[in-house]
Amino acid sequence: MDHNLILVIGGGPAGLEAARGTGDLGYPTILVDKRDVFGGTPISAGYAALTPDMRSADEAMAEMIEAVLNHDEIDLRTGTEIIAVSGSAPELSVTLRGPKGEEQITISSAIIATGFQHFDPGRETQIYGYYEFDDVITLVDAEKMLKAGNFVRPSTGEPPKQVCFIQCVGSRDRQIGNFWCSKVCCGVATKEAIEIRDLVPDCRVFVFYIDMRMYGFWEDELYWKAQEEKKVNFIRGIVTEVTMRGDTVVVKGEDTTMGRPMEIAMDVVILSVGMEPSEGTIEMSKLFNIPLESHGFIATIGGALNTVTTSVPGIFVAGAAAGPADLEDSISMGGASAMKAAAFCRNKSKELAAAG
Amino acid sequence: MSIYLDAKYRDVPQEEKQALFDEVTSDMRWETTLYGCYECGICVAACPSARFYDFSPRVFAQIMNREDIDTFYELLNDSVWDCSQCFACTRCPRQNNPGAIITIMREVAVRHGLQSAKNALKAYSRIIYKIMSTGTQVAPDMLQPDFFPDWGPDVVRVSENLDVWRRAIPPETMHTVELAWDVSEKTRLELYLIWKLTGNLQMIENLDENLFMILEEVMEELLEEHGYNIDDIDMIDTDE
Repeated sequence: MDHNLILVIGGGPAGLEAARGTGDLGYPTILVDKRDVFGGTPISAGYAALTPDMRSADEAMAEMIEAVLNHDEIDLRTGTEIIAVSGSAPELSVTLRGPKGEEQITISSAIIATGFQHFDPGRETQIYGYYEFDDVITLVDAEKMLKAGNFVRPSTGEPPKQVCFIQCVGSRDRQIGNFWCSKVCCGVATKEAIEIRDLVPDCRVFVFYIDMRMYGFWEDELYWKAQEEKKVNFIRGIVTEVTMRGDTVVVKGEDTTMGRPMEIAMDVVILSVGMEPSEGTIEMSKLFNIPLESHGFIATIGGALNTVTTSVPGIFVAGAAAGPADLEDSISMGGASAMKAAAFCRNKSKELAAAG
Repeated sequence: MSIYLDAKYRDVPQEEKQALFDEVTSDMRWETTLYGCYECGICVAACPSARFYDFSPRVFAQIMNREDIDTFYELLNDSVWDCSQCFACTRCPRQNNPGAIITIMREVAVRHGLQSAKNALKAYSRIIYKIMSTGTQVAPDMLQPDFFPDWGPDVVRVSENLDVWRRAIPPETMHTVELAWDVSEKTRLELYLIWKLTGNLQMIENLDENLFMILEEVMEELLEEHGYNIDDIDMIDTDE
């Protein structure tokens, strides 16, 4: 008997790419997602355009799903969860629960691509009145309006005249306990700022930041573009509080490079919420017995040289389940994990053959 | 309304601020003057004025980039005159030219006869007079102890016997203390026509009426000798 069945858990960008990789390498693959549709967070959260290339999220995810659909080696299961795991790779017994009931399968290797969840700005009550003021929204809420092509002030339904982003909400914060930078929010906020300026040309847009982390080509393709062509106002200084004056929210902060106190009325305040490990990610770490790293994501063991191998043999991780990741990171990790899982199966099969 | 709690010039109408701002950004040089600003401070570190005064070329780049017209108006009325126009600030990684932003802003301030321009140019009225009347910038007789304090302590000693010191240097100086070098009548006539035709004289009228009157008198005389009536010479309309 060969060891070759690979289970990919999570059908977002990382999982789709991992499944496509193992399938294309000729390994029978089961791709499961607890949601009823594939596409992961870009689809479930209703992303409009992807960072940085502004490609439609629907279109890009459809292309990824197309690659695994009707694939001879890939068995797709939506609405399906992992409820139990026993044994060890390459003979791992996994119980799936899906629309047709429970099923027990034996797999040789698994790739965990269960992603992240957006930080909930109501978890700490002091954060900017997200659940208090209609005009305080998150990047995700803004994304939905942008997808509909209608960016308005929620309390009035009118086009806004002044909008701001507050960066690092739920990230880089010792008080909250999230020490990490979520990596993508600077780019996503800048992308949304450009979209807002395009949709509502006479709306002023501010981005209040601690550092703008626009690495690689995001620098000129997003940041310079937003600043130079779209006249987005990037101000170093984080808003300390959002209050209500009359029926308008007012943000208070310091413009740190000017060394001056600010107080600005805003029609919409957008909180740039960061990434946290998803429930599925925590759940998989328990089921597969994989340690979490210090920030609470799934730990890998290779440092910078191996971004996908966990301490449990035959179990790999891809995408934001292992820590904040952008789309490029997730796709790259999907490919890398597919290669590692395939190699694991091949080596175990050879060991089996040698043992006769 | 300004984004800053400590904003100045709150009583100046927004339209007035906006019009001045638009005049700066519609200048033909603007396109290559400012791109975007990181607020990194490399220009401030390179700036000699920033070292000694409460002045920052960075602020000009960042405020103009942000299109913050209230703070632009503050700059136009205050620190726009603190720059030495040395252009050390062009070290900018975004290829901005804060010094050139200031050049354009100063021109706008002068054109509109803003009080800041009047104040700044007051100390230079003697130099402006020399340049516009003779075509030479500095004449020895401007070397006076009370004129520029930063000319140093030797000025007192030298200014006392100016003509003697002057005679000690080669004869091209014409042994005069009123001129740095000889300027022909033809050159002066051409200069006067240029001041008038380009609107320079009118700018002086906006900024310093006394200086304007003295200059006009000097110019009028020479122009008349050559058959020109100063009132008949119209400024060239650059918009045409």
